[in-house]
Amino acid sequence: MASAKEIKNHIGSVKSTQKVTNAMYLISSTKMRRAREELAQTQPYFDALRTEICRAFQHSDSRKSHYVAGHREEKPGDAYGYLVLTADRGLAGAYNQNVIQKALHLMEQHQNNRLFVIGDYGRQYFRTHRIPVEKSFLYAAQSPSVPRAREMGALLLDLYDRGEIQRLYVVYTEMGDGMDLIVHADCLLPIYPETFAQDGQEENELRFEPSADAVLARAIPSYVTGYLYSAVVESFCAEQSARTSAMDLANQNAQELLEELTAEYNHERQSAITQEITEISAGERAEKQHAKERRSHE
Amino acid sequence: MNRFHLKILAAERMFFDGPCESLIVPTMDGLYGIQAEHQDVVIAVMPGKLTIHSAGGAETVAAVSGGVLKMENNEALLLADCVERPEEIDLRRAEREAAEARETLLQNRSVQESHQAEERMVRALNRIKIKRRKK
Repeated sequence: MASAKEIKNHIGSVKSTQKVTNAMYLISSTKMRRAREELAQTQPYFDALRTEICRAFQHSDSRKSHYVAGHREEKPGDAYGYLVLTADRGLAGAYNQNVIQKALHLMEQHQNNRLFVIGDYGRQYFRTHRIPVEKSFLYAAQSPSVPRAREMGALLLDLYDRGEIQRLYVVYTEMGDGMDLIVHADCLLPIYPETFAQDGQEENELRFEPSADAVLARAIPSYVTGYLYSAVVESFCAEQSARTSAMDLANQNAQELLEELTAEYNHERQSAITQEITEISAGERAEKQHAKERRSHE
Repeated sequence: MNRFHLKILAAERMFFDGPCESLIVPTMDGLYGIQAEHQDVVIAVMPGKLTIHSAGGAETVAAVSGGVLKMENNEALLLADCVERPEEIDLRRAEREAAEARETLLQNRSVQESHQAEERMVRALNRIKIKRRKK
């Protein structure tokens, strides 16, 4: 059994840890709210862009575009690109692990893989497991921004344009209803026109100037940027949410631990007092006994 | 003069939303003007100067990055990553960006990098041009 002083020290350290986890909890929830607001501002633009791309796909001319699935012949052994979105830091429950597991699972199904990683956690993980990473984007995970997304999009799109990757998968986390996190692995390129939701109504066919292909060539980079940006923001929100719940749990654990320790401390203190009293009264009794014996001797 | 509804959406904000008399956008084949009752069309927009004559005759000039313009049922929708008024452009920043991009180009890097630098330079030079013209 630890001494009262040791328990007191333990209580102190748990309390200071709790302060840290509580602060992280508050910071995470604020960050999450801000990222959501920023995403909401850009949403109308990317939604509108998506609709226009969808319209362009209805045009027969668009089949010439190499962004459309089925344009290129795929040979076995062609490289696929994977963009994996992790957090820069841990302490977010199973958030990072879930993403990495999903990516590894996906990569098992194909031979020639080229890996792109966002976030320091993923970079460290793949490095320690000796899985080669083509490029890692640092600092993009903790402050999602459109220019950063454009930069990443341009790089990946360029690889795709030159045929160095035949497909591009994006592995990211989305917050579902409530607090559950869902890991998605979407094929961003090539684009499957069927996946673009149709409103059902047949709209009149538009004329494209100079061609649907050229319009798509202008619109696709922005679409990729928008897609990556929202994926980064979604992941960021999910990360913060995971951290919020992890920290909440840590707070609760700390609270429980504190209660236990306090009880133990009180117990220890009480038993020390009891022991002292016992010792004193025993000593007194011995003293009395001693005096009595002395008196009987006289 | 007849009017049509114009909506300009940039990545981070709504740039313009209202009635307008004419719109001039840069395209691959030069400037393309649109007035009310224009045929339904989708146009690829190049980086350059955008001119809007809003209802009442006021002229607005802006720098536009590449994007897509759709005209349908007398409603125009312009989607561009970045649309800026001259007063919003930071001349010094644009100049620095142009210089950096030019430097990258001169270093003869990979095709991909020089392609990106080229695009950056076009955007920066466009900003500078529009800022200077306003003065």
